[in-house]
Amino acid sequence: MATTQQPAAVVENPLLEGLHLRRTPDPCVLVIFGASGDLTKRKLFPALYSLALRRLLPEQFAVVGVARSEESDDAFRERMKAAVQEFGRDEFRQEAWDWLAEGTHYVATEFTDEGGENRVVSVLNELDEQRGTGGNRVYYLAVPPDAIAPLVREIGKRRSSKGWARLIVEKPFGRDLTSAQELNEELQGYFDESEIFRIDHYLGKETVQNLLALRFANGIFEPIWNRQFVDHVQITVAESIGIEGRSAFYERAGAIRDIFQNHMLQLVALTAMEPPIEFTSESVRNEKVKVLRAMHTPGPKHVVRGQYGRGYVEGEEVPGYREEPGVASDSLTETYVAAKLFVDNWRWADTPFYVRAGKRLARRETSIAIEFKRAPHPPFEVTEEGLRPNVLVVHVQPDEGVSLEFAAKVPGQGLTLRTVHMDFLYGGAFRTGIPEAYERLILDCLLGDGTLFTRSDEVEEQWSLVDAIVGFWKRDRPAFPNYAAGTWGPAAADELMRRDGRSWRRR
Amino acid sequence: MATALDSIAEIEHELAFARMDDRGEPYQRTSVMTHVAWVPEAWVEAAEDVLAGLAERHPSRTIVLFPQPHAEDGIEASVQVDSFPQGEGRKVCTETIRVRLGGARAAAAASVVQPLFLPDLPVFMRWRGLPPFEERYFDELVGVVDRLIVDSTEWPGLPEPYTSLAGFFDHVAVSDIAWARTSRWRAQLASLWPGIADVRRIKVTGTEAQACLLAGWLRSRLRRQVDLEQEPSDRLVGVEVDGKPTPFPPGDPPHPSDLLSDELERFTRDPIYEDATRAARM
Repeated sequence: MATTQQPAAVVENPLLEGLHLRRTPDPCVLVIFGASGDLTKRKLFPALYSLALRRLLPEQFAVVGVARSEESDDAFRERMKAAVQEFGRDEFRQEAWDWLAEGTHYVATEFTDEGGENRVVSVLNELDEQRGTGGNRVYYLAVPPDAIAPLVREIGKRRSSKGWARLIVEKPFGRDLTSAQELNEELQGYFDESEIFRIDHYLGKETVQNLLALRFANGIFEPIWNRQFVDHVQITVAESIGIEGRSAFYERAGAIRDIFQNHMLQLVALTAMEPPIEFTSESVRNEKVKVLRAMHTPGPKHVVRGQYGRGYVEGEEVPGYREEPGVASDSLTETYVAAKLFVDNWRWADTPFYVRAGKRLARRETSIAIEFKRAPHPPFEVTEEGLRPNVLVVHVQPDEGVSLEFAAKVPGQGLTLRTVHMDFLYGGAFRTGIPEAYERLILDCLLGDGTLFTRSDEVEEQWSLVDAIVGFWKRDRPAFPNYAAGTWGPAAADELMRRDGRSWRRR
Repeated sequence: MATALDSIAEIEHELAFARMDDRGEPYQRTSVMTHVAWVPEAWVEAAEDVLAGLAERHPSRTIVLFPQPHAEDGIEASVQVDSFPQGEGRKVCTETIRVRLGGARAAAAASVVQPLFLPDLPVFMRWRGLPPFEERYFDELVGVVDRLIVDSTEWPGLPEPYTSLAGFFDHVAVSDIAWARTSRWRAQLASLWPGIADVRRIKVTGTEAQACLLAGWLRSRLRRQVDLEQEPSDRLVGVEVDGKPTPFPPGDPPHPSDLLSDELERFTRDPIYEDATRAARM
C-alpha cells in the first residue's frame, strides 16, 4: 500500500508552557520629532526610562531625537538624564539610564528640510546595522499641529520596505472636522490606519481603563448602568493651573479643542459604551464610535462657555486669562466649557450627561459621577440636608479610585439617615505604583496594540460635535471674563443644572 | 509582645481600636487578602525579615502563627496596624496579628485562624520548613486556605517530600518559592529549543530543590528521562545541558520578598509545577 509522506510537523516548544513570558516588542528605533520640546522632557523620556528600568523595552532598541536646535548626542543625553531625574516616577538607577542612553542619538534639522530628513534616514540605517533594529520604526510626532502633515509626507516618501513603521500623533488632531479629515487623508496616504496611533493620554491612565474593568468585570453595575436607574451623569475635567505659557496654542484652541474634543468626549464614550465582545482594539473602538455617533448636538442653551478673570488659587492671587503673556486683551477664547449632552440610544435615551472642563478652577480634579435615581419612597426620617441619591464616582485624578455614596442610619434612637461615602483608593489596594499614561501608551504602540489610541472615525465624530457647538458661538459675543480664577466656573454653568432641578456635585 | 491578648474576641477588639488614628478617626482600609504564616521557632528571624519587606506591598491581614507545642496551653497574641506612605498623602494599611499557639492549641491551629480571616478574600498560607504532611493540624489548615506557599529549599531529604506534597495538589493550590527562583533559568532553557529536545543529562549548580525541580520540569515537559547531577550552591548559578553551559539569564535574581509577593498574586493551580514535582524523583 502506498503511503503519503506527511509534511514535517512544526513541533511547539513544550518548555514555554506556563512560563508567563511577557510579550516583548520587536527590535525598533523610536524617532521623536520635536525632541527639544517640553513633552519629550517631561513625559517621553521619563516614560522610556521607566520602561527601560522594568526591562519592558526590546534588547535591540534605540531612540533618535530630532529637532531644530543644534545639540550634540552627548548634550541631548545629558539634558534627558536631568529630565528623567527631575520628572521620572522611579528612583534613578545609573545602569538603567546607561542602557537607554547608549542607544540615544540626536539629529538637528528642520523637519521638512530634504537634506536634514536624509540625514535622519542615514542615522536610522546606521542604527539598524549597529543595534539590529531591523528597519522597524516608531515615529513620534511631538510637533506643532502645522508641522504634522509636511513631516508625514517626508517620512512617507522615505519609508523603507524593510521592517514595519508606526506613527504616533499627538493632539490636537485637526482644528475642525474638515482639517481632521484632510489630515486623516494625508496620513492614510502613507500609512495604513493600523499603523497610525493617535494619542489621547487620558486613555493611558490606569483609572480610565479601570472604568472598563469596573463596568464589565462586575456583575452588579452593568444591570443598573442605564436610563432606568441612572438619573444623570456628571463628568468634570478641572484644572487649577492656567495656560502655563502656552498662549499661542491656547488662543487658537480654547477649552473646547484642548480638552472637550478629546479627553472629555473619550470619557463620555467610555462611560456610555456598550460592552465590547473582547478587549481588542477594533472591538473597543467600534463600541466607542457608536456612542460618539449617537450623541446629538446640544442647542446653544445647553452649552456654557467661560473665561477666567483675576482671582485666587490656593490663596495666591493669579492673573485673569486676558492678562496672561501672549493673550490678546480682548480675547474671546474660552477657558471653560460646560454642556448637557445626550446619547440617543436604547440604553441612554433622555439621560443627560453634564460635562464641564476648565482652567483655573477651584481644584484639579477629573471625575465621572453616575448619579442614580432616588429611592421612590424612603419610609424614614431624613435630616435637614435631605436624603441624597446614590452616586458612584470614578476618580480619574487625583486620588485615583472609586467611591459610592449611600444612606446609613445615624446611631441612636429613631431611624435618622445620613449620606456616607465608601471609598476605594487605587493606590491603597495594589502594591505596584501606578504607571504614567505615556509608559503604557508607548509600550502599546511598540507592541502594535491600538486599543488605547483614537481611530480616525472617532476623531471625526468628535469634531462633528465640536463644530456644531462652535457654530453657535460664531453668532454671539460673550461678556468675558465671566468667572473668577479659583472658583468652579461661570454662574451660567450652575444655571444649566438648576434649570433641570439638579446641581453640580460639591467637593 | 506588647499587649498579650488571649482570645479571638480580644484580638478583634484590639484590631478595631488600632484602626483609629490619633484623632479617633478610622483609617480607611482596602484589603486584598489574608496571609497566614506558619513559623516554627527556627524560622522566626527569617520570617520577620520577609514580612517586613512584604507588608507595604500588600494591604492585607497577616496572621503569623508561632507554634510552641511544648509550652503552656493557650494562645497569646498581639496586634499591629501599620500604614505605609504611597504618595499624595495616601497610605497603605496592613494589619499583623502575631499569635503564639501554646500546647494543644498548636494542634488546633485552623480553629484559631479561621475566625480571623477577612471575609470573602483569598487566604494564602506560607509554611516555613518542611510541612508535617501526615499531621491532622496541617491537613486542617490546608483545608481552610486557598493557596499553600512553601519553599522546598528549606526541606531536607529531597526529592522524597515532593511525593507527599503531590498528595495535596487536589486539595489546595501550591506555590513553591524554590520553583519561582528557577523561572529565569527555565525561560533561558526554553530558548534553547529545539536543540534541547534531546537532552539526556543536566548539571545544575544550585540548591538541591532547584536541581530536582529543573530536572523534573525537563522530564515532564519533554517526556523523556533526563539524568541530573547537582553541584551544591546556595544560589542557582549555572545549568549545563549535556556538558554545555547555558548562558546566564539576563537581569538580577529577585529578592525573597519579591518572590513571595509574586506568589501572593497567583490564584490558580500551576500544573507545570505539579508535573515537575511528580517527575522530580525519576
